[in-house]
Amino acid sequence: MEKERDTVLVMPCSGVGKVHGLISREAAYLAVDELAPRTLDLVCLALLVREDEETLAKVKAYPCITIDGCGKACAQKNVEIAGGQVATAFQVAKALSKQRATQPGTGSELTEDGWMVTREIAEAVAEEVDRRCAYKEVT
Amino acid sequence: MSYLILACTGLDKPEGSVAREVALRLAEEAGAEIVCPVSLNRTPARYKRALAEKRLVVVDGCATQCGGKLAASVGAKPVHKVVVSRMIKESGTTLPPDLRLGSEVLELARRIADEIDLVATGGSRETTGETQAATRVEFQVASDFVVVVHDKYEFRIPSTGYLFNANDVWVQVAGNRARIGISDYMQQRLSDITYVNPPKIGASVDQFDEAGTVESTKATFEVVSPVSGTVVGINDAVFDAPESINEDPYGSWVAELELTAWEEDRALLVNGPAYAADVERKAAED
Repeated sequence: MEKERDTVLVMPCSGVGKVHGLISREAAYLAVDELAPRTLDLVCLALLVREDEETLAKVKAYPCITIDGCGKACAQKNVEIAGGQVATAFQVAKALSKQRATQPGTGSELTEDGWMVTREIAEAVAEEVDRRCAYKEVT
Repeated sequence: MSYLILACTGLDKPEGSVAREVALRLAEEAGAEIVCPVSLNRTPARYKRALAEKRLVVVDGCATQCGGKLAASVGAKPVHKVVVSRMIKESGTTLPPDLRLGSEVLELARRIADEIDLVATGGSRETTGETQAATRVEFQVASDFVVVVHDKYEFRIPSTGYLFNANDVWVQVAGNRARIGISDYMQQRLSDITYVNPPKIGASVDQFDEAGTVESTKATFEVVSPVSGTVVGINDAVFDAPESINEDPYGSWVAELELTAWEEDRALLVNGPAYAADVERKAAED
């Protein structure tokens, strides 16, 4: 029950074949596997847009952190369309621009710059999870 | 020949990671264009022109087949569909519990990508542009039939465009390609068809070799190939809906082959009217 109360979802954009998509995916993996494994639950955007029942139910039940590759914000928009609550929306393109990381890699492999931005996004996701869980404990 | 790849995004299952790896390899090494499933679902107009002009291959991770369903929902007709979980099972490969793929699975992904490229390009990647154009063939739909009536049964046989072997398997040839399937007479004998077991892509088949099986509520029928060649495509539509053979036996091909000995094979096949005479005789003997 404790675990259920603290669940936060993370949804990267699908982004296969583009470096922005790869960073969003790797950031989600890093956050789920290493930084907040007990709280974060990974959800698939493609399943959501296909209206998979289990995914829809999760998105409606728990806050969701979205990590989009670009300004199209597919993950964020689709969570909203599904009636879910977007806890925080990250965008890889903005993070790259902020860090002036001009050579992040390719759709299949990240450079040092790419991994740096990936870790920053993952850490920001984990911070958001901590913040939300702390807020829940107070209330 | 450039083509489109619609792959499972493969986020949370190892099978999906393989599908994604296959798509990436095809994009980077074979120049395939990746179709984003999310964009296709939300803004299909973005891909309308590409889908009209290029061949589409769907690579799904698991039996949920998000990619295949999505393609169907926008009216796209893939030339080939792959479900990675089935191929993993067939290959006996063990998937890792996490999403990071080891060398054995990466090798499997490479093999799947090679097979897809073979089908999507018609095996013409190493050939000239002129040859590639020649392999883009159109198979005509049967429109004129000879009808054999026996008791309450009517057996339809295309008058032209199809040849038959003595095993009730038809072949339709266009360029250096052939499609094979089972005749109306045989589908009626089999009754309700429940399962199609297609041949393996890339398999080399001699004339009169088995090229898959068709199962019905009454029997299992071995598809005896009327031609020799390499299997370059299977019809996922009949795999997904075997009853389509009952409904449209001459449109529901089972396998597509690249021909290797057409002139020799041709001599042992008969045309529609000659096959109609065979059907008349077989029906009388039944």
